[in-house]
Amino acid sequence: MRRLNASPSGGDREPVPAELIDRCKRGDEAAWAQLVDATHGSVYTLCLRILRDPDDAAEATQDVYLKVWRNLKGFRGDAAFETWLYRVATNTAITKHRRRGRKRTHEAGMDDEMMSAIPGTASVEASAGARLDMARLDRALDELPDHYRTAVLLRDVYGLTTAEIAKETKTSETAAKVRVHRGRKRLKELMFDEEKDR
Amino acid sequence: MRCPEVQELLPAYADDRHADLSVRRHLASCDECRQALDDYEQVLDGLSAMRSIVAPVPVALRDSLVAIARAEKRLDKMVTHVTRNRRAYAGGIAAVAVGAAGAALWRSRRVRTAAA
Repeated sequence: MRRLNASPSGGDREPVPAELIDRCKRGDEAAWAQLVDATHGSVYTLCLRILRDPDDAAEATQDVYLKVWRNLKGFRGDAAFETWLYRVATNTAITKHRRRGRKRTHEAGMDDEMMSAIPGTASVEASAGARLDMARLDRALDELPDHYRTAVLLRDVYGLTTAEIAKETKTSETAAKVRVHRGRKRLKELMFDEEKDR
Repeated sequence: MRCPEVQELLPAYADDRHADLSVRRHLASCDECRQALDDYEQVLDGLSAMRSIVAPVPVALRDSLVAIARAEKRLDKMVTHVTRNRRAYAGGIAAVAVGAAGAALWRSRRVRTAAA
């Protein structure tokens, strides 16, 4: 299996220590602030990538942390905290996206606003060894239809399994696989084939 | 296997090399399909690298997230207080309701008496 980030809790960051979670469970506000500081950037970015609107992403992030606070006592630590956190964030953002519908998704200027919200990628390209122009990849991702984009994001950026994607997007596993497959194919066309045609 | 069939399988193959022996055999002898596979790998590497790109968070958002703990604890305290004293609160509400009904009755009688 060639997965660079097989776990949703992957990435370069340090895992959230269990001791910090325990303190949060006991209602320690300083620990909660530490937890927010350690994780909210990634959660906000995930929401922004799915919702493509900074205000909606901020609102979704607040909902995520409210759910986390209210359900933290039920978190037993079977999976990494970040895995659980990303699952809550994915579910919250997708639910919000579904409720919002498609009407705002392709509003003029939305993509530019979203793109300007994502920082420059030169250093990331260098550190990750990516051979692509990341800003172009981001734009190509934005050109995908919503259901392909969400499937590719969850699978290839955040490392969810197709079973998890199916559950979160309320579709069958086969449909989730097809969406990932078609999304990747379209991305490759946008990044390489259309460039060659020019 | 022919190129179109192989290229149809590449988006999944780029992710899972164990998928198909016949794809591997074809790739060993086909430059065009190997190039297509390399393109897919670049896309997947790029997507994976996106994970470490974090968008700048609106300044007020961090504070509002931190404030959730305090607000929720306050709400919990309030709920606990009301739950513990629900009889007293129910009694109080009932007393106010009876008082309001009594006052309304007294007022309507007074109006009727004045009219007579």
